[in-house]
Amino acid sequence: MTPYLLVAPPVLLLAALVIYPLVYNVVLSLRNYRTGEFVGLHNFARAFDDPLFFASLRATGVYVSWALATEILLGLALALLVHRTIRSGWARTLIYVLFFIPMVTPPVVAGVIARLMYSPNYGVINVALAKLGLIDTEILWLSEPGTAMFAVLSVDVWQWMPFVFLVCFAGLQSVPMDTVEAARVDGAGGWRLFRHVELPYLRSLLMLVVVFRFTDTFRVFDHVQVLTGGGPGASTEFLSLYLYRIAFKFFNLSYAAALSLFVLAVASVAFAVLGRYLGKEVGE
Amino acid sequence: MRTVGVVVLALLAVVYLFPFYWMVTTAVRPLADFYQFPAPIFPSEVTLEPFSSVMIGRQFVTLLRNSLIACLGAVVFGIAIGMLIAYPVTRLPVPPAFRRGLLNWILSLRFLPPIVVVIPFFDIIRRLGLYDALGSLVLLYTVFSLPFATWMLRGFLLEVPLEIEEAALIDGASRLRAFFTVLLPQLAPALLATAVITFALAWSEFMFGFILTATQRSQTFPIGVASLVTQFQIIWNEMAAAGTVAAIVPILLLLFARRYVVTALTFGAVREKA
Repeated sequence: MTPYLLVAPPVLLLAALVIYPLVYNVVLSLRNYRTGEFVGLHNFARAFDDPLFFASLRATGVYVSWALATEILLGLALALLVHRTIRSGWARTLIYVLFFIPMVTPPVVAGVIARLMYSPNYGVINVALAKLGLIDTEILWLSEPGTAMFAVLSVDVWQWMPFVFLVCFAGLQSVPMDTVEAARVDGAGGWRLFRHVELPYLRSLLMLVVVFRFTDTFRVFDHVQVLTGGGPGASTEFLSLYLYRIAFKFFNLSYAAALSLFVLAVASVAFAVLGRYLGKEVGE
Repeated sequence: MRTVGVVVLALLAVVYLFPFYWMVTTAVRPLADFYQFPAPIFPSEVTLEPFSSVMIGRQFVTLLRNSLIACLGAVVFGIAIGMLIAYPVTRLPVPPAFRRGLLNWILSLRFLPPIVVVIPFFDIIRRLGLYDALGSLVLLYTVFSLPFATWMLRGFLLEVPLEIEEAALIDGASRLRAFFTVLLPQLAPALLATAVITFALAWSEFMFGFILTATQRSQTFPIGVASLVTQFQIIWNEMAAAGTVAAIVPILLLLFARRYVVTALTFGAVREKA
């Protein structure tokens, strides 16, 4: 009896603060927000004729795939590099701290920092590129769709490649020494050692990283809001930013609620994947 | 190979440290530096005036107070509620399916996109007259700190041997008494680590604060930082000063608890030595 009595208050709280709002969202999505009348699936049907929604979906797709690919490849490569070449304990601690700090910086501040780096009149990136002789006219990073996408992506990679690195580095250190030694004696070096000995140990951690990074890039909001606000045009208006605009600029909460159920469905799939592949690590 | 490693790391050190250098030095520059192009790499003189004009002139101390209240609220409630889940599932006899279901349900909150919650929540609290109130932020921060708090506490509880409480129970102490006099003191460092991580995560939260508050009465510090980024005229040194204050809090706290951070963020899948 007691265990159920103890978990009752948290369960009730979550019912009130999570389940109720989600149900409320479904109700919202079936209405016309202004008049309050029931409109059935109209808000869902509307999404199919909304070019801005599809533009936002495409931008999110671009963002998620570039961020995931870059962060995972760089993070993994860096973990291997440090694992193979840096032996001294204090150097490793220093590297740890170096990559730890950006990861725990609030995303809004990361956006502010990027603003200080990319902006046309105060940014240093243009100055550095000009000094190196790579450009001779200023790049207006935040005013062109392509470079603006690059800028918001660069912030994500800057902040979260370290997370991939730290997870992979910890994973590499958990590979048993004698397994590595045995492989070396058998003549496995470099790539083969990684492919056949270390990668199998990392596989489930990499899946975990993919799910976490997918979840967070798919919902990205904070630093984009500060850096580009979704612009120029709608080129960096990712799903969270688009829903924000519909709900809180146009005050069409019903349409936003309908779209948010789509976002929820995608996030649920990510969570289901996590449960399936990582039963051991997180299911227990 | 080793040289490659050192060169790559040196380059990365620049990529990672220079942006912080640029923010912090921007925060201590006098206005004159912003009329030069390109801006000098070292500040022409060091002044703390941007900090005082943000914190006092723009009243950001109020936002600091709001953030403290919201985050401490999330810490206290998050740990208390997390414990109400973590204790029974680790210490009391429950069916494994119940334990797994409950823990996974809590974990699923980590994957719930905030925009999905904030849309209905906005309408609900507006109808309740709780828009622009710190209380609604405390509630949401508590809920969204639960996956971390619960899973961390569960991890720590699993490390404390059952025998410790059993001895007290045999001596005639009630479960409640054993919890408070035997288990809790054992968990003190764990509670501190959980509190620090919960606090820092709530501190960095942006979307809820951005949408559910309107005035300095209830805005949190990151909302103030974002408000200094305007489309037309940015006052660079003030924006950088606010950003520096916003960043320094979680960085210092989490450096202090860094042993636990990656483990907490991956819900125990990564065990750390560093």
